[in-house]
Amino acid sequence: MTHEEQELGLLLSRVFENVVMTEEKSLQKGYFSDLSIAEMHTLDAIGPYEARTMSETAQSLGVTTGTLTVSIDRLVRKGYVIRKRDEHDRRIVRISLTRDGKVACRMHSKFHAVLARHILEPYAEDEKDMLIRMVSDIDEFLTAQLVRYDDEEDNEMSIRKTARDVAAQQRRREDNG
Amino acid sequence: MDDTGDPRERNLTETDIAKKKDMILDDIIKFLVKELDISPTEINPDMSIEEDLTFDSLQIYELVVDLEEAYDIRLPDDMLDSVVTVGDFVDLVYTLTVEHEQ
Repeated sequence: MTHEEQELGLLLSRVFENVVMTEEKSLQKGYFSDLSIAEMHTLDAIGPYEARTMSETAQSLGVTTGTLTVSIDRLVRKGYVIRKRDEHDRRIVRISLTRDGKVACRMHSKFHAVLARHILEPYAEDEKDMLIRMVSDIDEFLTAQLVRYDDEEDNEMSIRKTARDVAAQQRRREDNG
Repeated sequence: MDDTGDPRERNLTETDIAKKKDMILDDIIKFLVKELDISPTEINPDMSIEEDLTFDSLQIYELVVDLEEAYDIRLPDDMLDSVVTVGDFVDLVYTLTVEHEQ
């Protein structure tokens, strides 16, 4: 392993964990401390505007509709999500955000935007473009890796876990060895 | 002559704009009165939302979500960045409402 490979590997893990932990702490200390990161990301996937179906929301989160149903039940009880049957097709369930859900979603988007603004701030315009291009390449590569694992049967990564689960798994692996 | 428009029509439009903006201002004032427990007479359009009214981001987003719902518009974050005063809010909501109606 070259020095560069080692450094980049370490940095990627740290960036990932730090993003997750910063999000977690900002949630715990903020107005929406009753929401987990996974729940906040579910609100984000529903979005503050049009109602969405369960299947399209599950798809954008990379989870099964069964998993999403459990999460939506909890969010309905907490008062962040409204669940309604489609007026024209009763088989379709549509989910949308309550006023609190919309506010939480908007504040979470703002959190990400402020984080990104601070990261980009020290750089010139062409450097910003290059940084975004490089991070996009990393994202594309990692997404392709994930698809590879998804294709393998009986693999515990077959369903994309929440960022928190993946980070916990990574920490356990590091602790063990 | 530069202006060939019918002055009555122009006045009517200006009145409409003023009426619509007053309506938006009233809605914002109602929200502020409820949120801050102050008298409507204590609020003027030149007041800064964050500094004079000491609104935090949660209160700003509550106002944003209520205005989006009431006027059937979307107030994106990049537009909100330029909003400082109560009057700025009124102008932005007015502009987006007109765009939406067209």
